[in-house]
Amino acid sequence: MSDNILARAGKMHGDKIECREKYKAQLEIKTHRDYVLNLLTWLKSERYVHLSFMSCIDWIEENEFELVWHVFSYESKNHILVKTRLNREKPWMHTAINIWPHVQPYEQEIHEMFGVYFPGNPDLSGLFLHNWLDLPPLRKDFIAKDYSLALYTTDALGLTPPFDDIDIVEITAEESRDGE
Amino acid sequence: MEMDNLYLANLREEKQNMWGGLVNYFRKRSMWMLYYCTGCGAIELPPTMTSRYDMERLGMGPMATPRQADLLLITGYLSVKTLKRVIWSYEQMQEPKYVVGFGSCPINGGIYWDAYPVINHLEAFIPVDMSIAGCMPRPQAIIDAFEKLMGEIQEGKAIGYKRYEKHYDWYKKNQDAVLGRTEAVLKPWNDPFASNPSVDELMALEKGESNV
Amino acid sequence: MYLPDGYTTLDKISENDDYAVYDLFFGPNHPGMHGNFGYVLDMVGTEILRVRPNAGQLHRGFEKAMENKLWAQNLSLIPRVCVPDPDPNEVAYCQAVEAILGVEIPRRARYIRSIVLEMSRLGSFLMGMGGVGGALGHYSTMYLMMIDRDLILDLFEALTGGRVYHIYNIPGGVRRDIPDGWTDKLLELCDRLESKLPEWDRLLYENPVVQDRLGGLGYISAEEAMSSGITGPSLRACGVKADVRIDTPYAAYDEIEINSKLSEGGDALARAVQVRLDFEEAVNIIRRLVKQLPDGDYKLDLGNISKLRVPKGDAYSKVEASKGEFGYYVVSDGGLKPYRVSVRGPSMPAGMYLCHKHLRGMKIDDVAVWMASFAICPPDIDR
Repeated sequence: MSDNILARAGKMHGDKIECREKYKAQLEIKTHRDYVLNLLTWLKSERYVHLSFMSCIDWIEENEFELVWHVFSYESKNHILVKTRLNREKPWMHTAINIWPHVQPYEQEIHEMFGVYFPGNPDLSGLFLHNWLDLPPLRKDFIAKDYSLALYTTDALGLTPPFDDIDIVEITAEESRDGE
Repeated sequence: MEMDNLYLANLREEKQNMWGGLVNYFRKRSMWMLYYCTGCGAIELPPTMTSRYDMERLGMGPMATPRQADLLLITGYLSVKTLKRVIWSYEQMQEPKYVVGFGSCPINGGIYWDAYPVINHLEAFIPVDMSIAGCMPRPQAIIDAFEKLMGEIQEGKAIGYKRYEKHYDWYKKNQDAVLGRTEAVLKPWNDPFASNPSVDELMALEKGESNV
Repeated sequence: MYLPDGYTTLDKISENDDYAVYDLFFGPNHPGMHGNFGYVLDMVGTEILRVRPNAGQLHRGFEKAMENKLWAQNLSLIPRVCVPDPDPNEVAYCQAVEAILGVEIPRRARYIRSIVLEMSRLGSFLMGMGGVGGALGHYSTMYLMMIDRDLILDLFEALTGGRVYHIYNIPGGVRRDIPDGWTDKLLELCDRLESKLPEWDRLLYENPVVQDRLGGLGYISAEEAMSSGITGPSLRACGVKADVRIDTPYAAYDEIEINSKLSEGGDALARAVQVRLDFEEAVNIIRRLVKQLPDGDYKLDLGNISKLRVPKGDAYSKVEASKGEFGYYVVSDGGLKPYRVSVRGPSMPAGMYLCHKHLRGMKIDDVAVWMASFAICPPDIDR
């Protein structure tokens, strides 16, 4: 923690955040959903310019989604995980594209995979899935194995073809003479 | 014997045509492969094509468009989006055309058998003439498979395209079951934000809910 | 014929008195495309107006599949996330698990991991530079580089048993020790690769056609690259001294000297030259690692690896792959299977976000070259 970022964060934001040092040069700051953008803007001004990516975790037992932003500073070499929790029934989050424009595809992916809504993101259409009508697939109540067995296996597709002319039979000498 | 057996019907046709066997000999020696890397198995294609395991001595070379290619190589797994495009490319190819399934994934799903976007059996959607097992197959295995395919072409056994033509309904039924679904497979989902509300509307809704 | 929904031929979108705008699929099925990915381009003539990425054709649902398999079973899925360069994935995953467990692996295991990482980096650079050559129509470079990559794969096969996917790193170290005589063959290969560099210089880097086509393509400034999520050789080519091996050392890199040189310029030619400089340095790093290779255990005894139970916690670990920063964020809830594994792929910022800014105004001939210069590799966009 060569730049004392956690101490300065505590002074700046007081009791709106909760800080912890997890491992060497890996820190964690938890905050409320509506304060995240303030915190991210402050971190970017403190030379934490690199946003690696965004993750989302489905805590189904606690009925919450957790969003994590990973930011990194090239000067102090610290990695900070900014975390927040969302209500699982109607999950939505302010978009961060005005701070880091390249977060737009990550938010698009989280919308598709978890169903979290980001008002203000210009394009939240589907990226990876084709003709998807089920639950967002990375949620814990979606069982991928059941889906795959229901759609892609022999029972579903009727794999045994209803024709038997694909057998390569050995022909005898008379049969081959018949054709001439 | 059954006149419906496609293999026998094809052999008979060839014997009646005096060029039958000779055409097969030339066809097997100039298979042009569609240059479409569909999955992770495609990483073993450059070593097979370049100088070390040289595929060109068998007469094979890469070709850019489906209209001019004979061989469609499904290198590895097929996600549903790729399947749509593979069927489209396969139907644009001119006959005679051959399909080689590369790796374990087109055979039975391979390592992605329980994954939601990956199909498990390729033979249900397009006819496969040769399958290569392995994850992923080595260049020597690929060359071996191509030589076997050449042997089958010579003997008139690689007639997948005729089967596709004759039993198109069955293939189309399977394709529609996966690609043209209109209902959810497990449980449909209603997006609570389908009306695209703005931030102010959402905050107002929450304040209203907390006041109630 | 099967007509998928939304199928378009060369559709005319709009027209006025002077010109018409067409919609073209720069396909998945395209000899210039690196893998199964597509851009839908709105074009006037050969100049591009708008880009829409068409991703998802390589989507395998990794992150969902990893939640249903044991900690050790995931190691067979993990290398498949990035096809040309699989080892950084294994190392990042194992390091995240080791961080949550709170264990330190033996010194020899760290050195062996670094050797394997550097070899994988060399192989991926050869494929990448071959890709740049191939995208320009310069096929001799691709053919020559594929031979050398095959020699690296032979050494991998002698060490791990697999040519492309190695599954060699496990939480706690590596699976087996280095066989006798393997390091001698590795040093011979390093000599051979170094002797080839002048030939590639003459073929590719000093070629006036290549310099003309790559120069000025896809320029990005240092500040913009740092705040757009660009990492790895593409960032070093803008003059920023950023290397995960030096900034947050992992494996054996804190004990090895790394002289990273920067090529400045920020355009495609600088990125290609940066790859060449990194290649030279990787060969030297392998030599230093082999010389300082210590004796000892090659793995930590964590009991039955199939019954590994990781305590509650989460960790993010990153490695420097040949394309940039590869990161794994692993969350555990104290069970036999991971709760969530989230993967950070290095191609996503360039492939999905920078394409909107750079491809506008470019000619269609340069799209494949632009993709190869940023080392955009679709498997880690789609996962």
